[in-house]
Amino acid sequence: MTPHSPGTDQIDTLLWIGFAAAAILAIAVIGGLLVVLARNRGERGAEPRQVSGGPGIQLRVGGALGIFALAVLVLSIVFTDRAREAPATGPAGLEVAGGEPLQIKTTGQQWLWRYEYPDEAFSYYRLVVPVDTEVELDLVSTDVVHTWDVPDLAPKVDAVPGKTHKVVFRADEEGTYTGQAATLSGQAYAAMRTAVEVVSPQQYEAFVESQKEEIQAAQDRVVKLIENGEVP
Amino acid sequence: MSAPTRNPELVVDGFPPRRARWVQLATSADHKDLGRILIAGALGFLFMAVVELLLMRLQLAVPENTFMPPVTFNRILSLYGATAIFLFALPLALGFFYYVTPLQIGARGTALPRLGQTGTWLFIAGAAVLYTTFLFTPPEAGVNPLPPLSGLAFLADNGVDAWLAATGLATLGFVLIAIDLVATLRRLRAPGMAWRRLPVFSWAAAISSWLLLVIGPVMLAAITMLMVDRNFEGIFFAGDAGGSPLLWQHLSWIFYSGAYMLILIFALGAIAEIVPALARKPLFNRNAVIGSLVAIAVLGTLAWMQNMYTAPIGLGWMYFAMIMSLALIVPFGLIFFNLIATLSGGAARMRAPLLFAAGAIAAIAIGLAAELEHSMVAVGWRLQHTTDSTAATHFALVGGAVLGGFAALHWWFPKMTGRTMGETLARISFWTIVLGILVAFVPLFLAGGEKGQVIDAYKFFAGEGLDAYNLIATIGAFVLAAGIVLGLLNAILSREGGRPAGHDAWGADSLEWFALSPPEPHNFDLLPDVRSPRPMRDIRLAIAHRSAREDQPAREHQPVA
Repeated sequence: MTPHSPGTDQIDTLLWIGFAAAAILAIAVIGGLLVVLARNRGERGAEPRQVSGGPGIQLRVGGALGIFALAVLVLSIVFTDRAREAPATGPAGLEVAGGEPLQIKTTGQQWLWRYEYPDEAFSYYRLVVPVDTEVELDLVSTDVVHTWDVPDLAPKVDAVPGKTHKVVFRADEEGTYTGQAATLSGQAYAAMRTAVEVVSPQQYEAFVESQKEEIQAAQDRVVKLIENGEVP
Repeated sequence: MSAPTRNPELVVDGFPPRRARWVQLATSADHKDLGRILIAGALGFLFMAVVELLLMRLQLAVPENTFMPPVTFNRILSLYGATAIFLFALPLALGFFYYVTPLQIGARGTALPRLGQTGTWLFIAGAAVLYTTFLFTPPEAGVNPLPPLSGLAFLADNGVDAWLAATGLATLGFVLIAIDLVATLRRLRAPGMAWRRLPVFSWAAAISSWLLLVIGPVMLAAITMLMVDRNFEGIFFAGDAGGSPLLWQHLSWIFYSGAYMLILIFALGAIAEIVPALARKPLFNRNAVIGSLVAIAVLGTLAWMQNMYTAPIGLGWMYFAMIMSLALIVPFGLIFFNLIATLSGGAARMRAPLLFAAGAIAAIAIGLAAELEHSMVAVGWRLQHTTDSTAATHFALVGGAVLGGFAALHWWFPKMTGRTMGETLARISFWTIVLGILVAFVPLFLAGGEKGQVIDAYKFFAGEGLDAYNLIATIGAFVLAAGIVLGLLNAILSREGGRPAGHDAWGADSLEWFALSPPEPHNFDLLPDVRSPRPMRDIRLAIAHRSAREDQPAREHQPVA
């Protein structure tokens, strides 16, 4: 997994900080346990000295652990805030009127993702976004809880019925990034996948135009079928 | 020293004829019988959970497997979650608390035995409800059945209703047992058994019981609301009608987080009995360990929103959960430090309980370290809902409930049956379980952390770098299963065939070793005055002191002055 947006860059950095912190703690406990067990065996013989520790050493160890936890907390908040920062559209990106992010309504439904673009165009499964552009997904769900997850581009977010959940990202490189829904949503949950295609602004606009035309053509065909009486 | 034997003067005529053994057991309100029912039931459901885990791992052995249809996978997944938590880990912990605590505090029984009896049989009833769903439709809404998926509109058959009834009955049973334990610990401690002298495991029982009195009703409320939603047109969780699906997430995660902590408190409490006894030293600092257990119960439960980083809740709430989670570093770290410091300078006898205890400490440490990483908000956005979180939870809970549970089982087995569990088989099962945990769950850390494999999915796709990880994890699950089955087999074989243990099997310091093995129905004929946190050691020293005075031979039945 390689991050391809400013937000996921920060998440990746924090991931490795967290991994280091976790490794330090786990190794300290397991290492200490193994060393102590190896050195202090004894099947029989005199009872060892019945020593126990006072509160002083507990305070020192607890204080050290507290400082460690505080450091992890501060780093987490710093990087989480950076990961949430709305990334401004860059020079290679698509200009949206008013400097607003490109808003795309994203609907989770068993077991598909539907993406609605600003100009009445929509697509299923495949999301096409312009590169270097601030994109805002407004997630809703029509049925059960779904989790939208394209780990290279953005944090995971739930689409919950009755609420709108926003996630903002800016893709730095053209390409196709896959993702998979990450909350059990019924029988075809494992097949509920999505792909984000990051393209140039021109290709994005061309895509929206062709989607609109195809949707219009499909609607015309339906209208014609109804007029001809071929569909009740 | 041999513990007190029956006084011949106490034999009287006119005892009612003994009933058949199973009638005796099924109608008993004795905490030892009920504790054994809980422990035996829990270990039976451990076996079921292992079978379900293996079925799921078989399906996930190769990409796009068609071994079972998705609906079957979802059903097994739902059964696995309910079995592992409600029918194995929680009743195992409560069974040991219920069996051991009255003995440790020098009580002749529990304060409200009928409550404990009702609770135990409610748990059995819940288990029966869950497993009879095989006859109609098993639940298929997942480990935590989130509405709206678990609502009537999406799962209209009886499976979810059965899940709710089953977990509701079991949870109600656990709450009743917790009430009995709280009352017993408050009212029935032996003379001199002040709170400051209470054994750590009894402290763990007290903390866990109070915790259950908080989280149990929360889960029962959530279950009731979902039942109302499903059967009586309620709208508690209906987002479009004024309710909120998030309400279920909050309530259920409060329970699950608290239960997670309860299982770890049980394991660490048992380990804190085993380690000092087998190292032949007092616990390095009792007060720090007990205080830390209290802190774990409080902070761990308050961190419930750690499971909801992807949900539409405010960032402030996520930071609140993160602060609570990261604060847990201090109490858990202090407990590990004190256990290691107890072993340091000791003379450890590496018997099976200590082996399992050490394994449990290691596995819990890895699992909690990984959970720490998941609790960092931005990392949670990436790692939660992946197999990385599955692996973290399984390290901590298999470490706590299986390794820690087996440590407790090997430790108190002599007290319950009068026989020691076979040491050779114990060692084989221990190393097999450790190997199994590593091979089964380390690949899942990598598959989730590196490749983002999602949880609960009935299949994964080829060409995404997941094949090898999942195949290895499946092999590891079989190794783990073999180790667990060997451990269970050891317990079954040792009930009749184990080496006779004697009453004071390990030279431990707490009062349950003053009773016979297995204890009399009334636990103790006579009780010593408790003068320190180590009453059994006081007794041993006093007897050694008297034996040294040759003019006056040791007398056994006398309480030690």
